[in-house]
Amino acid sequence: MPNIQNSVQNIYTLENLAAGGTVIHRLHPAAKMLSALFFIVTVVSFDRYAVLSLTPFVFYPAVLMALSETPHLMMFKRFFAALPFCLFAGIANVIFERSAAFSLGGLTVSFGTISLITLLFRTYLCVMAVLILIATTPVMEITGQLRRVRVPAIFVTLFEMTYRYTGVLLEEAAFMHTAYSLRGRSQKGIEMRHMGSFVGQLIIRSFDRAERVYAAMKCRGYALREFHARERKFTARDMVFAAMVFSFCVFFRMVSIDAVINALARF
Amino acid sequence: MHMADALISPAVGSALYAVSAAAVAYSTAKIKKDALCEKKVPIMGVAGAFVFAGQMINFTIPATGSSGHIGGGILLAGLIGGPAALLVISAVLIIQCLFFADGGLLALGCNIFNMGVIPCLFIYPLLFKRITGKGLNYKSITAASIISVVAGLQIGAFGVVLETLASGVTELPFEAFIALMQPIHFAIGIAEGIVTAAALCFVQNARPEILESTSNSTRIGSSVPIKKILGVMVIVTVFTGGVLALFASSNPDGLEWSMERAAGTAELEAEGTAFNTAAAIQETTAFMPDYSFANAGEDPPLIGTTVAGIVGGVLTLVLAGGTGFIISRIKSGKGRTA
Repeated sequence: MPNIQNSVQNIYTLENLAAGGTVIHRLHPAAKMLSALFFIVTVVSFDRYAVLSLTPFVFYPAVLMALSETPHLMMFKRFFAALPFCLFAGIANVIFERSAAFSLGGLTVSFGTISLITLLFRTYLCVMAVLILIATTPVMEITGQLRRVRVPAIFVTLFEMTYRYTGVLLEEAAFMHTAYSLRGRSQKGIEMRHMGSFVGQLIIRSFDRAERVYAAMKCRGYALREFHARERKFTARDMVFAAMVFSFCVFFRMVSIDAVINALARF
Repeated sequence: MHMADALISPAVGSALYAVSAAAVAYSTAKIKKDALCEKKVPIMGVAGAFVFAGQMINFTIPATGSSGHIGGGILLAGLIGGPAALLVISAVLIIQCLFFADGGLLALGCNIFNMGVIPCLFIYPLLFKRITGKGLNYKSITAASIISVVAGLQIGAFGVVLETLASGVTELPFEAFIALMQPIHFAIGIAEGIVTAAALCFVQNARPEILESTSNSTRIGSSVPIKKILGVMVIVTVFTGGVLALFASSNPDGLEWSMERAAGTAELEAEGTAFNTAAAIQETTAFMPDYSFANAGEDPPLIGTTVAGIVGGVLTLVLAGGTGFIISRIKSGKGRTA
């Protein structure tokens, strides 16, 4: 089933990328997490026609992807996952906001169209910020940071285990799906009347595996406790990175880029 | 039903973050009290991976030509209990957000609330457990599953509508939005409810101990009054939403508010003739005064400035792309010489 195989591939590709050793990879996870969050909050704080004011924010993904040697095309494909609902809201704006914003060579562009473009652009920026974070930071570093800020051990361990076993169970589901397809008639998905026993079977396999996992963990001395992740120094380099991202965001949030462009156009 | 970052405002995102964080903290505390807590965590981890895998498998809905997949909230709550299911769904949503761009980082609070808190902490104890309370059999499991999944999806979809409209990113009228969202999610709910019921009945038949242990272990009604949970959530929502709305009304956004707190002023004041000239130019020529286009109904701005704006925007994008390209070239050049 291509859907499942793609998902497994997705996880492993990002994990491989995160294992890199570029200047961005070496930054403290807290610096990258806070910067990504601050960037997203700044981007979504613009109003819904601010497409021009948002353009300088492309520098963030462009520069970070180049510095971290992350392939853009691969990341761009994932942007489509976030699209359906945004397109729905954006197209609704095109229908409901028909008043003209400006006309260009006889072509009138409505406010709705501008808000659709802004929404898509905003989606692109936010998706890229998250993907760059995960493509440059190993999951264990992120969960280590969560432990350092005292997120309960139960939740962090649960997250780590879900992440680790997602690939395993996706493969299990793919095996079952292949077996079903080979026995059944050629069809796209599983018939709804078979889905209950299919999912039920997967549940039982998962629970059996969970029992074995728990037994194996116990054999190796597992005990759920609040342990503190290895301290990692927040160096001057991390500080400079975070300060640069923060000031970049604040600067372009305050200074209207279209005014600068128009001023330049007048000269 | 996953909401993206671009669909919400910082105020709505933070308010729902606070509510979901409170719900996750509550569930964590609840699990910790369980004597089998240590054993439950690996089971929950694998159950999370199961939900993930389950959501990837599409089933064909007869006579419609369309397909659906399981959502997992009620199914998981039926297997491992409400609070544990909320933690698992939250972990799954975080992975979907980080690795698959499915739902945003700022929108995570909204997504956990719509798809986790509603089915696991409200619908499961209030509907599912009440219906199956008199005895676990195929009839009660089927009725409970369908009713709970439909109710959970309806309330969740309504949450999406409210959160999107409160964020002000769409012009879609409330009635039209509701008329689009609710019937679609009703149909999805029926199909998903039937599959959830069939899966739970299968497990009940093959391993009755799984469902029975869940059904007996978490008697929510007696140990934790649901009114208390509701009360805390209402207080958290009203407080966060109210506080943020207060700042949002007096200041255009939270960022400017924080600027005001940090710098003593909402706008960075720059002095000097160059800045004054720039400000004057901005006032007379701004393509989008105060970050928006000229008001609707007014004369459209001069074509010259419009073209300049668009060309400038495209140039900025090219410049950003070019910077990235140059850095990549320099880095790959270095790699070759090394």
